[in-house]
Amino acid sequence: MKELRQIAAKLLTDGAVKVVIGWEEGPRGARAAFVTRPEDAERLIFDARCVQNLATYLSPRRRHVVGLGKAAVVAKPCDAKAIAGLIRESQVKREDVVILGVRCGGVVREPTMPASLTAETVADRCGICETREPTLYDHLIGEPQPEPPRVTRREEQIAALMQKTPQERFAFWSQQLERCIRCHACREVCPMCFCEQCVADKTRPVWIESSSHPRANFAWQMTRVMHQAGRCVDCGECERACPVGIPLNLLTRYTAQSVEKRFGHKPSDDPSIAAPIGTFRSDDSQEFIR
Amino acid sequence: MSTRILTKADLAGLVADLLSAGTRVVAPARVDNPQVAAYRPIASFDEARLDGPLPPRSPKEFFLPPTEVLLRWQKKKDGIELQEVATEHPKQVILGARPCDVAAVEILDKVMGWDYRDELWFGRREATTIVSLACRGVDKSCFCTAVGSGPDAQKGADILLVPSDGDAYLAQILTPKGQALVEAHAQRFGEASGAEAAKSFREAATRKVASNLPIEATKLSGWLADNYEHELWKRLAMRCHGCGACAAVCPTCHCFDIVDEPEGIDRGVRRRNWDTCQAGKFTVHASGHNPRGTQNERFRQRVLHKFSIYPKRFGELLCTGCGRCARACPAGMDLPEILGQIAKLAGAGVPTGGTK
Amino acid sequence: MATEETKAFEPKIVAFVCNWCTYTGADLAGTSRLQMSPNVRVVRLPCTGRIDPLFLIKAFERGADGVIVSGCHPADCHYTAGNYHARRRFAVFREIADMMGVDNQRMTFSWVSASEGNKWRDVVNETTERVRNLGPFTEYQSLSRD
Repeated sequence: MKELRQIAAKLLTDGAVKVVIGWEEGPRGARAAFVTRPEDAERLIFDARCVQNLATYLSPRRRHVVGLGKAAVVAKPCDAKAIAGLIRESQVKREDVVILGVRCGGVVREPTMPASLTAETVADRCGICETREPTLYDHLIGEPQPEPPRVTRREEQIAALMQKTPQERFAFWSQQLERCIRCHACREVCPMCFCEQCVADKTRPVWIESSSHPRANFAWQMTRVMHQAGRCVDCGECERACPVGIPLNLLTRYTAQSVEKRFGHKPSDDPSIAAPIGTFRSDDSQEFIR
Repeated sequence: MSTRILTKADLAGLVADLLSAGTRVVAPARVDNPQVAAYRPIASFDEARLDGPLPPRSPKEFFLPPTEVLLRWQKKKDGIELQEVATEHPKQVILGARPCDVAAVEILDKVMGWDYRDELWFGRREATTIVSLACRGVDKSCFCTAVGSGPDAQKGADILLVPSDGDAYLAQILTPKGQALVEAHAQRFGEASGAEAAKSFREAATRKVASNLPIEATKLSGWLADNYEHELWKRLAMRCHGCGACAAVCPTCHCFDIVDEPEGIDRGVRRRNWDTCQAGKFTVHASGHNPRGTQNERFRQRVLHKFSIYPKRFGELLCTGCGRCARACPAGMDLPEILGQIAKLAGAGVPTGGTK
Repeated sequence: MATEETKAFEPKIVAFVCNWCTYTGADLAGTSRLQMSPNVRVVRLPCTGRIDPLFLIKAFERGADGVIVSGCHPADCHYTAGNYHARRRFAVFREIADMMGVDNQRMTFSWVSASEGNKWRDVVNETTERVRNLGPFTEYQSLSRD
């Protein structure tokens, strides 16, 4: 933590960056901090409650953050994958961001929880995460971290769901999406949802209806997940942000599994690796095509 | 009006009576996740969780659904045929709602009946009897006492239940509608007793909440009106995603969008859907210009509407201090924290009493 | 086992096809007077690369019981690579649809060249029979009730 604060303060003192985006202690646990003065670097913290993916704030869609000037951002390995995604897709230039990579031993499910990691408290995604430190960084901070408690509850839920018939799955999602109020929080928090004009906001023609009836909710989630295929970094923010508690990570994670199985692609923090949708191989398997 | 006593057994009986008479009963109830409760129609009293956790969403959707049909249209040979929707609504009782949720409904009556009488809103209002339940205070994000309300506030309720001795509630009958409900089910209500226990419950809850945010938010409107360009707003919403989860869970946020959705080439439906000033698209003009171009401006709007604009027009705050926005925010935006900052700037941080 | 109702059921199928291969192949099937089921409505697009999964969703929303996506064989794309992109896209989309409970048997993906009138007839007939056996897509259609 001391190291992080020192580096942040130095970057600000030297004028190398105008803002350091990290985490601070808020009224309800760890939350994003925007430090612009070297003396405020003392506010920065990093522990297992630093759940939020800060790469979201680098998206050019966030003009109020962009307006602060060049940023340094504290990045866990999964956050670094999202930054790599933004670089890969020409949303951010590598030289325009200073990445303060932090070694990570997993985070808890909610930033309001105590920072102790157990099988019950660890975030689902961390339970299967194999990355302890990012490879995309300008500074790498912290001691080597132990592996988070291994939990596979989400993988088991997905497997159980796939054992069911399509009709049963349809009934499951109908029930879940019944609650959706189409606030689009899942989109707004997502580091990879950076479109200026989302297809869900199109009105001429109306591709995805904005009303929160089940028909529109199905169209919205199917499309959102499709657009995330091979791009989602599994930061879990969509599900965490959902004010009605829809298990959205079952969809994104299943899609990631499919993409990995089919194209051998895993999200990585190497911006030079192309995303699997948007490229192709002439010998891609086509067993489903008549 | 008068006060009666209602035991838990009688409350269960009352719910059974209402359900068998075909009245919809909405209460905080179990959902698939045991840590969570939600306001939803119940099929029996057993499903209700009156002492359970605070439902993450307010019951405003039972007056203003997230999406509702306004009319249907169909092209005919001689023009367009419009089919309106019914504005009469089946009877419902909202049971065990928190005072902060219930107060919001009465606050919203003002805007819903202001320059245009919203018949869908008032149709549901008239069909609904609200039986609220005094709250013991949820957590540190509660600040109802700071907005001039309290965990035992009566506003908006037809009957207020206050936990009393043992398994009984003291029922304060507040409106003719509440009186009618009691008269229709007179055998369920007993002679009032246990007033002392109810009083100490109320005092303990008020003390607990008041220590969270010892300010008077009603006194902020002047400062807010005079400080539109204050430095505070320029940095306020850096971490805000503009996702609008706060508005979705807020009992008083009521902005909506009206859309026409085709159901084929010759017919369609006009719907009204929840919307939020936190969405960038909310204020985009046809020209492409957006008068609230960044999230800082959008968040300022949220604060101003609740604590300056609405009070100026309707004489009361558009906030009941439920704290849901702070609990729901995935980025840690915290309205009570911000109100505290504003109170400090405005010099209105006068403790409201009962606080340390 | 077919009830009276399923006997009477005629599936509605929407085919999204590319202009250069499958549409021309379908045209050939027609001019060759090949017999095929009349349940398929064809929507012509420049290339399978132009077919957004949203088109399939929209078809289901508007009452389709099944969909067909068809274009040029690999290496035959008029625009060089549109069908390769489509292949990846639909490989993933059908799994997402499957996860959400849209039975993959309601979707046919095929390569039909301009000279394959017979193959187009087979794709149409097979898809129609398969969807006929599945019955109407009532789950999806019931999403549209207010």
